[in-house]
Amino acid sequence: MTLSLIEAVLLVFVLGCAVGAALLKDTLAAVMAFAAYSLGVSVLWLVLQAPDVGLTEAAVGAGIMTVLFLLALSNTASPDVDRLFESIGWQTAALVAGFVLLVGATVPALPAIGDPNSAVVGGEVTQYYLENAYDQTEVKNAVTAVLAAYRGFDTLGEGVVVFSAVVVTLSVLRREVVA
Amino acid sequence: MTLDLLTTHYNYYAVVLLLGIGLYTVIESRNLVKKVIGMNVFQTGIFLFFITLAYRAGGNPPVVTEGAGPYVSPLPHVLILTAIVVGVSLTAVALALVVRVYSEYGTLDEHTLEELYHD
Repeated sequence: MTLSLIEAVLLVFVLGCAVGAALLKDTLAAVMAFAAYSLGVSVLWLVLQAPDVGLTEAAVGAGIMTVLFLLALSNTASPDVDRLFESIGWQTAALVAGFVLLVGATVPALPAIGDPNSAVVGGEVTQYYLENAYDQTEVKNAVTAVLAAYRGFDTLGEGVVVFSAVVVTLSVLRREVVA
Repeated sequence: MTLDLLTTHYNYYAVVLLLGIGLYTVIESRNLVKKVIGMNVFQTGIFLFFITLAYRAGGNPPVVTEGAGPYVSPLPHVLILTAIVVGVSLTAVALALVVRVYSEYGTLDEHTLEELYHD
């Protein structure tokens, strides 16, 4: 597909917010840039026809994540802000430029965006889920069907990860839930 | 040639740029909170790669109804849903460690922490 105006604006917005989060010296400003970034990304998911991912990103990425960052900031001290932006470290920039060129060199090998015959979209796994999801699970949303039925054990594993994260967070902070 | 690639692969170039920005933030920022932000930017770059792979021109969201096809691929969406939740767990643990480091050493500056560690 060709680049639509809304997607071009979103990509520029998202990249701009990412650069802002990288270079703003004040941590609160960087967190705000990151929150705007998450919001832009969640709209980008909607444009790319992934509403489930967009909703999760908006609630979890832009919502919970920002709250976590603000909680962390309120429990620590901000660095002294003598100027708005940090100075650019040219050594690191050169290293990252090398990385970007290396990874960027692989892009031409990928299928064009929206190609209906690409390995992912046209592959038999995708077709199997789309054709059989409703008959086998009685769920019309194929994403939910795969998440909760076909790959239910993955989602159980995800639950284990979240549980471990809660346990680790509480023990690192030495908080007791049940006194 | 290059311009052709840019019009058909623009999202992948955005992915590469996001990975670069995330990596730069993780390496270059002296403040630990900003390192965590960089990690998240890097992560979202990977998400964009997956969601772009799932996209199909003219496709609808994968909610199967009569005559609504063609659909985009549901499988990468599922993987990324899981990855978003795992990413938040990772951020929560990382920020808890950051808060703990601050309460022990009174600073979040990487260089000051290194000096304190060597003393």
